[in-house]
Amino acid sequence: MAPHDLRRPFKRAAISDQQRRRELSLQRQAQHRRDAQHQARCLASFLNPHSEPEPETTSETE
Amino acid sequence: VAGIELPHKQWPELIGSLLSNIHQLPGNTRQATLETLGYICEEVSPDAVEQDHVNKILTAVVQGMNSSESNNDVRLAATRALYNALGFAQANFSNDMERDYIMRVVCEATLSPELRIRQAAFECLVAISSTYYEKLAPYIHDIFNITAKAVKEDDEPVALQAIEFWSSICDEEIDILEEYGGDFTGDSDVPCFYFVKQALPVLVPMLLETLLKQDEDQDQDEGAWNIAMAGGTCLGLVARTVGDDVVPLVMPFIEENITKPDWRQREAATYAFGSILEGPSPDKLIPLVNIALNFMLTALMNDPNNHVKDTTAWTLGRMFEFLHGSALETPIITQANIQQIINVLLQSMKDVPNVAEKACGALYFLAQGYEDAGSSSSPLTPFFQEIVQALLTVTHREDAGESRLRTAAYETLNEVVRCSTDETASMVLQLIPVIMMELHQTLEAQKLSSDEREKQNELQGLLCGCLQVIIQKLGSSEQSRYVFMQYADQMMALFLRVFASRSATAHEEAMLAIGALAYATGADFVKYMPEFYRYLEMGLQNFEDYQVCAITVGVVGDICRALEDKILPYCDGIMTQLLKDLSSNQLHRSVKPPIFSCFGDIALAIGENFEKYLIYAMPMLQSAAELSAHISGADDDMLEYTNSLRNGILEAYSGIFQGFKGSSKTQLLMPFAPHVLQFLDSLYMEKDMDDAVSKTAIGVLGDLADTLGSNAGSLIQQSVSSKDFLSECLSSDDHLIRESAEWAKLAISRAISF
Repeated sequence: MAPHDLRRPFKRAAISDQQRRRELSLQRQAQHRRDAQHQARCLASFLNPHSEPEPETTSETE
Repeated sequence: VAGIELPHKQWPELIGSLLSNIHQLPGNTRQATLETLGYICEEVSPDAVEQDHVNKILTAVVQGMNSSESNNDVRLAATRALYNALGFAQANFSNDMERDYIMRVVCEATLSPELRIRQAAFECLVAISSTYYEKLAPYIHDIFNITAKAVKEDDEPVALQAIEFWSSICDEEIDILEEYGGDFTGDSDVPCFYFVKQALPVLVPMLLETLLKQDEDQDQDEGAWNIAMAGGTCLGLVARTVGDDVVPLVMPFIEENITKPDWRQREAATYAFGSILEGPSPDKLIPLVNIALNFMLTALMNDPNNHVKDTTAWTLGRMFEFLHGSALETPIITQANIQQIINVLLQSMKDVPNVAEKACGALYFLAQGYEDAGSSSSPLTPFFQEIVQALLTVTHREDAGESRLRTAAYETLNEVVRCSTDETASMVLQLIPVIMMELHQTLEAQKLSSDEREKQNELQGLLCGCLQVIIQKLGSSEQSRYVFMQYADQMMALFLRVFASRSATAHEEAMLAIGALAYATGADFVKYMPEFYRYLEMGLQNFEDYQVCAITVGVVGDICRALEDKILPYCDGIMTQLLKDLSSNQLHRSVKPPIFSCFGDIALAIGENFEKYLIYAMPMLQSAAELSAHISGADDDMLEYTNSLRNGILEAYSGIFQGFKGSSKTQLLMPFAPHVLQFLDSLYMEKDMDDAVSKTAIGVLGDLADTLGSNAGSLIQQSVSSKDFLSECLSSDDHLIRESAEWAKLAISRAISF
């Protein structure tokens, strides 16, 4: 039944630089994953012969 | 024992027999009984105890707390037991009469002549403020009087709890107001009662008084916590809660005290100013900061008191953190004053460690304010060399181990590098051999005591962190990447040596740096794999330091993208380990979503070679998908976790489908298609996906259609996702969702046109 710790961060920034390094790495990795997915999809659209007559923005097909 | 047996209903008579002790005469029996009840409430989950028992426990506890109880030990045990029992008292706090009675007894206990009882009673008030914020309105006026009296007159342990009560109320209101601000649908379950705003005219003067009660040398003592520190921290929270309204209440105090001969008054005034810099609007603060800035720079140089200088440097850091940056219209740092600001900060970095550390912190935020300069010119460019040199000098100070100074200097160096532009890329490049040499020296050190070794590991972590930031910076542009690659072999060799240490932090930092290096190196990274692989496997096995495991999982992704199919020889080992991680109950749950995403990274890299892992990976994905599809009644944290899990699962499916695209083995995926579509349908129907999940989910639909083509045409057409979900995504406000939906639409149209 120890009382909870009262101490709060004192004259400290809310986020440590170490935490920032982790978060920035995760962001970078997520971005690169998106880029890789995007590239794969672009490649698929480009390579697929059926995509040519059907530009994606004007396609009406459901 | 009760903690184990009660949840299984194996000791139903326990509470009853304990309660029968309450009326025993010997005080020590009652005390021991109340302590036991307190421990039970601490250990056992509220749903394991019937409401009837809860009522009886609370009755016994509250009776023990009553002022009519003459035995102080019993009253103290009862008050501490109530602290633990509060989580059980939901129903009782909803009943006006019962709540009134509990609150009256708690408030009375705050007036007990016994210090420990007063302290325990205030601890109950603090716990009530966060657990039952919405029930406090009828009592807040009385509580204010009680806390004000305690802050003014009582012993420090009690006064600290009294301040904590208001800090905790601020926490609650900040959370509620954030929810109001972020979500206009008014989803917050708890309304804001604006207790802080109402108490402001009396609360702020009370807190300002506490600021004058500093201890000598509190800034040098890591473990210090006193009334002045608590008061200032609370004032900062008040400012975040009420914003502009705090400013006129604090300014007279600052003006009156900032030039006084007594250092306590100058420090208190400065601390008050620093504390209110987050919360109020820039419009309100910038005119004041413009006046204060010059004064603060002078004080940082000339004030005779270290305590004042420490708080002054911290306040400058807060000015730069909250009121400097491209988002603000009126700059507080201009061509006219930047030179002076930097001179003062660099000079102050030679001061005693605690002041120098705060000066580094101020420089950190000064650099951060220029982070959006991009590749164009940065106002810091002319000072770059001088700043870097000064920071490196700080890291070499004999006393840099005190007050976290060395850490602060490296962290500031990181931020200066992150926010640098192309203009200074050559200077960043020159930093590499310097930092590598430092790292090399730490690795050569021999015969260290365990204390020295710990410091050495910490330093290795900082140096790897710094190299990681540099790699990420230089690796992001073609031009600088090419030049910096000359150091890649040496750097990698050093990182691998760091794994010989036993420090989790050093491992984590080295791993992050290697991930960044893999991305920058690309396919050439394969030459490091034979040596690096065992550390990769070690990282994936590190259940205990789950951060290391999580980072390593991310690095596997980096390596997949760098090596593509050249990663194949290592995949059996990696997949085995990832599958083990997923099945483990020991591993922290936060690592599991990234592991699923990593399946996707591997599949995308090795394509149809993923075939042999399908029989292991697919059932795992399938059962995780089933679990994550329906989570009705979950709280916000659970929903957030579930969405990250869903995202990981979907990224795995995406990678797998895309990896098999165009291969002769796409048929192997057909048996899984019904389940994937079912998963997408159930996610859509649950209506609790966040935007990131929606984007990934609709992308998976496209990937499935693209890879399986006409074979899955009729299945796709039967799914709700291909109709309602798709059309919702096509008209989403989020352009990333729309983009994925366009892809899905195109792929589906092809799949069903055959």
